[in-house]
Amino acid sequence: MDRRMFLRCLGCGAAVASASQTDLLPEFLGGIQNACAFDFTKKLSSVEARYYKKLEGGGIECHICPRHCLVTDLERGYCGTRENRGDVYYTLVYGLPCAVNIDPIEKKPLFHFYPGTTALSIATAGCNVNCKFCQNWEISQSRPEQTDNLDLPPKELVEICASKKVPTIAYTYSEPVIFYEYMYDTAELGHKKSIKSVMITGGYIEKEPLADLMKHLDAIKVDLKAIREKYYRDIVKGELKPILDRLIQMKKSGVWLEILYLVVPTLNDSEAEFKELAQWTKAYLGTDTPVHFSRFYPHYLLRNLPLTPQKTLETAHDIARAEGLEFVYLGNLPGHPAESTYCPSCGALLIGRRGYRIYQNNLKGNRCDKCGRVIPGLF
Amino acid sequence: MAPDVKEKRIGDFVGRACILYSMSKVIVVRYSGGAQKKGLSKEKYLSLLGVALTELAGEQQVEKAIRKYLPNGVIGIKTNCLARSFNSTPTALTDALSLLLTQAGFDENDIIVWERTSHELAKAGYTLNASSVGRRCLGTDAYGVGYSRGFHTSGEVNSLVSRILTDLVHYNINLPVLKDHSIAGLSGGMKNMFGAINNPNKYHDNNCDPFCAHVNNLEPIKKKNRLTVLDAVKVQYNGGPGFVSEYISYYNSIIISDDPVAADRIGLEILKHARQVNGLPPLEKVGRPVKYLKSAESIGLGTADTNRIDIVVLVVDKEGRQTKGKLF
Repeated sequence: MDRRMFLRCLGCGAAVASASQTDLLPEFLGGIQNACAFDFTKKLSSVEARYYKKLEGGGIECHICPRHCLVTDLERGYCGTRENRGDVYYTLVYGLPCAVNIDPIEKKPLFHFYPGTTALSIATAGCNVNCKFCQNWEISQSRPEQTDNLDLPPKELVEICASKKVPTIAYTYSEPVIFYEYMYDTAELGHKKSIKSVMITGGYIEKEPLADLMKHLDAIKVDLKAIREKYYRDIVKGELKPILDRLIQMKKSGVWLEILYLVVPTLNDSEAEFKELAQWTKAYLGTDTPVHFSRFYPHYLLRNLPLTPQKTLETAHDIARAEGLEFVYLGNLPGHPAESTYCPSCGALLIGRRGYRIYQNNLKGNRCDKCGRVIPGLF
Repeated sequence: MAPDVKEKRIGDFVGRACILYSMSKVIVVRYSGGAQKKGLSKEKYLSLLGVALTELAGEQQVEKAIRKYLPNGVIGIKTNCLARSFNSTPTALTDALSLLLTQAGFDENDIIVWERTSHELAKAGYTLNASSVGRRCLGTDAYGVGYSRGFHTSGEVNSLVSRILTDLVHYNINLPVLKDHSIAGLSGGMKNMFGAINNPNKYHDNNCDPFCAHVNNLEPIKKKNRLTVLDAVKVQYNGGPGFVSEYISYYNSIIISDDPVAADRIGLEILKHARQVNGLPPLEKVGRPVKYLKSAESIGLGTADTNRIDIVVLVVDKEGRQTKGKLF
């Protein structure tokens, strides 16, 4: 893509994104597609992947996520973005995002991370799970040759942030673990230029790559999709246990962490599950970890289910609060009071939100302006 | 579409279900000229295809045999070009098949040779052509093609299917290469259909079972695939699906059937035999049992039991004379 054109488009305050189909991801498009003609690259990258082992007798074993794909010559892992070529494993998506956009940080959602700021949000094709409810399936379940990709190496991303005064880069939309090398190098370079990095992930990553990556991350939001292994097996095509382990690892590392739980009618919306989730969070991550309960919209392979009823979300909120979690939010319910942040001590409104917009911010530094309580997060 | 019913028998009570068996027919045509390290020429493939098609259809003329399976319309030829020029569907075979189709009355432009990507076709030696003149040759990634808008579903498989198959062709001939596969155990006709969907990487768990069966049960694939022509001239009996020269066996044959499961089942016999004579352990012992054929049979895609496959082996010599032969 022509970089000048790209910058001009971002200057319009609009979004840029593309995938194989033009009506894809309408929330990203913002009408800009009609205004500009983009040159997307058809090339795939051939940067050697990290965290894999060559096997005796041929083939490699990928160690980026707990799936540990065994991949022989000319084959790809489950994510579809890493390929074995002569027993050297390559990432095919390095520097090739298929979605690029400037979003409010609240959209991630990260509510305790520099509220009111923006993040240059990027994603490549591919994902290491296959959630039946995925709202971005057109890119997450595609291989990189099936999406229209931009040519934006880490240096250019960081330059865009600097020139547009965007303080943060968010790796999001699909699953950043599968473009780990691109994310890692961008985050590392970004830190050198005072650009922050946040990862929006399902948390299905191995311990070692996560530990290395967190040196360059400022915040993580994990989509904890359920608290039951069966749901992960049947609906997500992944595993719960390693994700819970990684959540604990993230919390211990000190990187800012928030959790999102998408409440899917009939599949993970029982009061018992809400209680279990709250109790586990309290026990292992602490009561100060924000938890977002988000409304499900029918997408992808779960078009047969209805929207999550507001009452179910409010029940989840009340159970989590009753279990002692201090920052519980409801998402995809614009205008609901539980979008806002309240002081757990005195109940004062600290950050008033409506959708992704902040209409009031009463924090004094990182303290409640009424009682002076310290509010966890980065403000 | 249904295999010719040569024999019917009632038997094999499974629980309370009574299964009506029909015989599937697989034709194996071998070239008797010894190891063909450079592969067979177009003329030799023409000879083998003519014999195989007439025998399968029970017709005297190749044209009539072709029309029995492909009555009219646009015909797709799905190749397997993963191993580039080393061991992909030979251009000579595709050219021979295309020639027979045109001789049967199909317009050249109504033949589409295809693969998942155009660059794979090009690297395997094919000349790309998306124009309205001559035989078309293109990948699903070609401009304006892509995948179906809606999902096709069977079992746990949810995929978009190449628009070449859903929108551009009326019938398809599956033209794979017989290979070992590092995960599935066998890469033949059914595995080749992974190249027709958008997300094949999602379906390699558990030796591709039952996923490979369900990919072939996706409506456009099941409905439009009329013939499997499995190239078994150079058999990659180990180290596949890529090309490993030390594990090539020269079987000099094509395997043809209108039953995709039966064609693969006979391909598997040949693969197993090649492994055995070359001192390699059975696929089951090396962690890649071919399980998906039974799954395919269980959902009605064809016959995986060799006792219910009518195997006809014919040998064609340099002069085109044909005799009856044996599988090994």
